[in-house]
Amino acid sequence: MVTTRDLEAHFEFECRACENGHCRKADVETILSERKGLKEFYEAFKEHIKECKRMTYGQYMFVIDREVLPEAVLWWHNHPEFKETHLSTAVGTDERPLNGKFVYMPFLNVQVEPQNMDENYWVFLKAYMPADDPSFPSVAAKLPAALWIEREVKDLLGFNPVGHPDPRRLILPEDWPEGVYPLRKDMDYRHSPMAEVKTEFKEKPEGTTLVPMGPVHMGIEEPAHFRLFVKGEEIVDVDYRGFYSHRGIEKTGEGRLTYNQVLFLAERICGICGYQHSVSYAMAVERLADVEIPDRARYIRTLMLELERIHNHLLWVGIAAHLVGYDTGFMHAWRIREPVMWLVERLTGNRKQYGMNIVGGVRRDILDYRKEEILKVVKQIREETKKFIDIALNTNTFIKRAEGVGILPYKIAKAYSVLGPTARASGRRIDTRLDQATKTAMAYNEVDFKVPVYKEGDVLARVLVRMDELFESLWIVEQLIDQMPGGDIMVPIGDLPEYEEALGFTEAHRGEVVHYVMTGEKNKVYRWKVRAPTYNNLPAVPEMLKGYHVADAPLIIASIDPCYSCTERVQFVDVETGKVKVLTEAEFNELSIKYRGVF
Amino acid sequence: MAESLSYTEKLKKWNRFEVEKFSKKAPVTTPYPFIDIEKPPEYRGIPHINPEKCIGCGACVNACPPDALILEWDKKRGVKRLTFNAARCIRCHRCVEVCPTGAMEPTNIFEIATDNKEDLVEVVEHKLAYCEECGEYLDFTERQIEYVKAILPKEIIDMYALEDRIGLTQEAKMRKTVEKLRETEGNAYPAFILVKKGGEE
Ligand code: SF4
Ligand code: SF4
Repeated sequence: MVTTRDLEAHFEFECRACENGHCRKADVETILSERKGLKEFYEAFKEHIKECKRMTYGQYMFVIDREVLPEAVLWWHNHPEFKETHLSTAVGTDERPLNGKFVYMPFLNVQVEPQNMDENYWVFLKAYMPADDPSFPSVAAKLPAALWIEREVKDLLGFNPVGHPDPRRLILPEDWPEGVYPLRKDMDYRHSPMAEVKTEFKEKPEGTTLVPMGPVHMGIEEPAHFRLFVKGEEIVDVDYRGFYSHRGIEKTGEGRLTYNQVLFLAERICGICGYQHSVSYAMAVERLADVEIPDRARYIRTLMLELERIHNHLLWVGIAAHLVGYDTGFMHAWRIREPVMWLVERLTGNRKQYGMNIVGGVRRDILDYRKEEILKVVKQIREETKKFIDIALNTNTFIKRAEGVGILPYKIAKAYSVLGPTARASGRRIDTRLDQATKTAMAYNEVDFKVPVYKEGDVLARVLVRMDELFESLWIVEQLIDQMPGGDIMVPIGDLPEYEEALGFTEAHRGEVVHYVMTGEKNKVYRWKVRAPTYNNLPAVPEMLKGYHVADAPLIIASIDPCYSCTERVQFVDVETGKVKVLTEAEFNELSIKYRGVF
Repeated sequence: MAESLSYTEKLKKWNRFEVEKFSKKAPVTTPYPFIDIEKPPEYRGIPHINPEKCIGCGACVNACPPDALILEWDKKRGVKRLTFNAARCIRCHRCVEVCPTGAMEPTNIFEIATDNKEDLVEVVEHKLAYCEECGEYLDFTERQIEYVKAILPKEIIDMYALEDRIGLTQEAKMRKTVEKLRETEGNAYPAFILVKKGGEE
């Protein structure tokens, strides 16, 4: 039914691994010689590497002993030549139904040459752990970028990161009982036990006063609880407790949905960067199915992604203006943004691009007469934003509050794997759009744009990076409209291979979004892991806050453009969608009719 | 309530940076929800089931990501019930895409706030087909069978002798095939040929 051509053949890469007709079967030597650095790594950890495998184009996996995990991760992260390489995230999987083991697997975004998507690649370091002793030596003890993810696998899967400096609960609520691990496969996704409330806050340092900020952020109006320890006006230390909007999306996706249905869940992870999530997810599945999507679909996706970036940057700059007390700027930024939303509504059927994507392409075509409309909006936005920036950057209220505040030095940004504009404002030259092979799902390789980088690392630099990016995005949209190829907008996807893994990724306006998908039987998803950029940026916020005043805190926190819902993906208890969904749903409806007016 | 300009007209005037740019001031605040808001024709609102066209096939139920559509069988009464709950609907229009008869109709209604949850539920009931042979209801609706008969080419209907067999339950069908096989024991013909003969008799 589906004709699948190899991705490499289509994009004219020289593929040296396809001796058996399928790249995943190529032998070790050829795999290792494909990219720079792989061989070196293999030599360094020879005794501990059990298997090495090429997952898909530009994604390599090493099955490695858990004892050397920290060394292996640090080998990549601190590679002297590959400067911008970072630990992107990790995933914990319960593979007991398959092979009786648990898996912990960090992902590294290896950057051989910045912004060269044919040279860079992803490395998965897969470590198996026996079912009776799921523990591994903590990477976080040496690399803060792993702090949260290790706490996460501890909460959700019951792994034990030995030597973790801060093993408190991160994700699960305070009243969740000990020893119940939601992401283990033997737990039903409808089960939601309760226990005594037990809060774990950081000890207050000697001689400081506690200033609680939260549980709701005053500017972004999302739940996040910061505890600032202050001496006078100065912030000395910070404690963070979040994950109040954990919705258990990953579990739902794994529990009952087919791969096409998961997509509609994926795009609802975030209220403003949903399209990034849906493209990332679709990309991962397309890689697994080994299909190549039509060029027109890639262009339309890129167009939507860039329109999303434009309106999100405007939204953020509005909030930043609001937080410094420059409300005129806030009003104008949001007024300028609105036409983009209307445009998107006409193009996709929803203000927020929801429902536009599907695995294998897009659902609505861009008709030719619309192109003019897009260009008109782009032109208008460019003019208005120029004026707006001119005025905002000449307003003392704004500059005085933003300049020299919340400085994040390059070294800390790297150690925490900070992403996106926050990283670029601190001098990190990263942008997933160009760094990794996004060309299978998006068309960034066919347009020309610059990636703005600033060195200052303060809030102002973050504003400037975003505004520069906004103009680049407008330019990308114009190029896309100009070059839009004809043809189909989607290809059907057949059955997925069983128990294969792949990553999908995009650069959202906050940084790199990563979706890891492992397929199960019957076109279901066995494991789905979402990592939103704020997940990496938020742990670095305490570092930014230290040494500044309490009054600056809301702005500094907002300056990374945090999105709590994305980060926390994640505990809704869904009783009415069981396996026997037909009946339970009906009961639910009957009940709701019966008790109407009662609740 | 003042007569208001159309929403888009107003927004055209809203498109400005300095006040001097526009000559006539238009109020931006509208007395919504007492007036209708203009929606673009492309907007995806909640869908609506057209009971006249629906055949109860359940394609939409399989496609719906959040279980806004559900199917139930009531074999005692001989009905199949399709329920649409707008409160769960995420307006993705997957159902509209997959519906074979165009019974799922797209709308651009987005305001579903109500004080009565019943308003949000649409129910379509279908009669199940009845198998004379064993006196039981089939899984399929009468309309589904009509529809299948209408779209399948004549040859296929003849080949499988569907004219007679389509109205039977799975069990009765199997029993018939077995009977035929018994009659022609030792015969090397594939089963469908036997059935065809049976159909012609
Ligand atoms: S797909 Fe169409 S015809 Fe089939 S049950 Fe749904 S609405 Fe009715
Ligand atoms: S629009 Fe989407 S969510 Fe709503 S009923 Fe149809 S398939 Fe289900």
